[in-house]
Amino acid sequence: MNGTPSVETIEGELLTPSRPPRRRRKKARALRGDDGRIAAILFGPTGLILIALVAVPIGFLLFTSVTNFNQRSLFTGEFDLVGIKQYTTVLADKTFWFAMLRTVLFTAALVLGSVFIGMYVSQMMTRLNNGMRYLVTLVMIFAWAMPNVASSIVWKWLFQPGYGVVNWLLSRLVIFGDMVNTSWANNTTLALICIWLLVIWQAVPYIAITLYAATLAADESCLEAAQLDGAGRWRIYWQILVPMIQPNLLVVTLLSVIWDFNVFNQIWLVSQGGPAGSTSTIGVFTYTKAFVSFDIGQGSAISVITVVVLLLLTGVYIRNLLKSGEDL
Amino acid sequence: MATTIERRTPMRADTTNNDGGAMKAKRRIRWDRVRSSIAAVVFCIIWFFPVYWMTITAFKPRNEVMTATPVFIPTHWSLQNFRTAMFQTQFLVNLMNSVIVTTISIVVSVMLAFLACAALTLYRFKGRRSIMVTILAIQMLPGTALLIPQFIVFNQFGLLNTYMGLILAYIASVLPFSIWNMRGFFLAIPVDIFESARVEGASEWQILRLITFPLVAPGIISTSVFAFIAAWNDYLTAFTFMKDQSKYTLPVWLASFSTPTGTDFGGQMAASVLFSLPVVIFFMIIQGNMVKGITEGAVK
Repeated sequence: MNGTPSVETIEGELLTPSRPPRRRRKKARALRGDDGRIAAILFGPTGLILIALVAVPIGFLLFTSVTNFNQRSLFTGEFDLVGIKQYTTVLADKTFWFAMLRTVLFTAALVLGSVFIGMYVSQMMTRLNNGMRYLVTLVMIFAWAMPNVASSIVWKWLFQPGYGVVNWLLSRLVIFGDMVNTSWANNTTLALICIWLLVIWQAVPYIAITLYAATLAADESCLEAAQLDGAGRWRIYWQILVPMIQPNLLVVTLLSVIWDFNVFNQIWLVSQGGPAGSTSTIGVFTYTKAFVSFDIGQGSAISVITVVVLLLLTGVYIRNLLKSGEDL
Repeated sequence: MATTIERRTPMRADTTNNDGGAMKAKRRIRWDRVRSSIAAVVFCIIWFFPVYWMTITAFKPRNEVMTATPVFIPTHWSLQNFRTAMFQTQFLVNLMNSVIVTTISIVVSVMLAFLACAALTLYRFKGRRSIMVTILAIQMLPGTALLIPQFIVFNQFGLLNTYMGLILAYIASVLPFSIWNMRGFFLAIPVDIFESARVEGASEWQILRLITFPLVAPGIISTSVFAFIAAWNDYLTAFTFMKDQSKYTLPVWLASFSTPTGTDFGGQMAASVLFSLPVVIFFMIIQGNMVKGITEGAVK
């Protein structure tokens, strides 16, 4: 946490949450004759597994997306090639577009919510004394560590119609009226709010802690100089600190986009995508197509489209990684 | 006189202004701290409440779980809910499933990741970079992209509803992540160590076993913990692959939790505690350093 994390260290931290500070190697070693052979022996088993369990399945996904593979095919092994029909069906399907739009909007709401709250909390942490800061961190680690299946179950209990404590508390507030028997999962807006709160609850700790670490590493003299020049706190934050921690902020945001776009468990367990599919994001929509109605061909096509959309959304991140790929 | 005063006034005004500024700044800092502390307390209450509510619900006696007015500070404590969760459901069987599947997939993944990382960081060869990029890209795939084809293939090979199928699926998702996680530890080793070992005539295998392994041991431990959390928490794959209740892992058990007496929130919360506890403990252990770092960083 001390030392100045470069973009790379922070990136590393996101993917490898607890690795020691990296030391850049002085020089790339020259390619030696037997390097390739040894590397092949060491990497061999991993390579075979990744080919068998990832590459082949992905190829197979592309293949099933042009077939009419369905529940019957699972038993008989029979299916027909249908060309791009699955894709045209999906792209003509209004529910697909609604699910996609919903996913993009919900992802935006989740990313904005968690990043802004995370920024606020990280700023708050810089102004606390040690005891309070320790308490805040500890509390956040609980929220962070909870498996999302468990927190989804807890959420359902918190928002339970009849006996949910949140329903009871909101009813005490009077402004919302009597909400004791409100069923959150049966109302599109309420279900989305409920899931939004759940995901935010789990996402903020990671963002806040990463940004706090970045803030500590930022050059303090700049901030002090700005303060002496009489800049307001708001301005110091947005015009001086934010540009300084921008690399970290960017990485946190992009990772949030990936994670939030793929949120599945929380939605599946809280609302099952209901009522009437109105809270189903693209992940839930795909799962339902492939594993509830067992229209696997179409499910595959949607998966392929999702991967493409996700690649477009995260293209920047990947391209930056490729650019800094010297020591990949 | 008047002129001197006039001349001095701006100067004095300046100094008082500066003093006032410093005092103002000090007061502002103190005020900042008070205000932030209040915000922090509110934040802690909101963020901790779900965990608190889960825990106290789990320890409440059955008749105090569902009450018209929630009981915020329970006066009676009971282990009834834990007994229900553990002995009136498939908990023990499902726990065993989780332990078996998680352990095997972690051991295999971490071992392979160690070898693969050695290959990718200590040796130079063609295609190294593209392998790294591919491994990174795999982690961005949405869950269903691998789930659908794996389901079909595993169905063909009779691997659905078996430990083997689930273990293979977990290796596929945990291995790439483990490689990324371990990579930093390998890169932190100074290259000179290897060079001098080679000069001394050590074989590549000896270097790997006697030098690299001990040096990256902390990385292996941290990777194992993260791999454990990933496999232990997985719901989607286990839910899709395992059809018999006796084959469920704990997340599926928790999500479909029901006792002979119907919906039982006390039991569900006890089940959530039982399931989350190992993860929270492991998480605390590995993130303990982080918390320490954060609190110490503040002292500077």
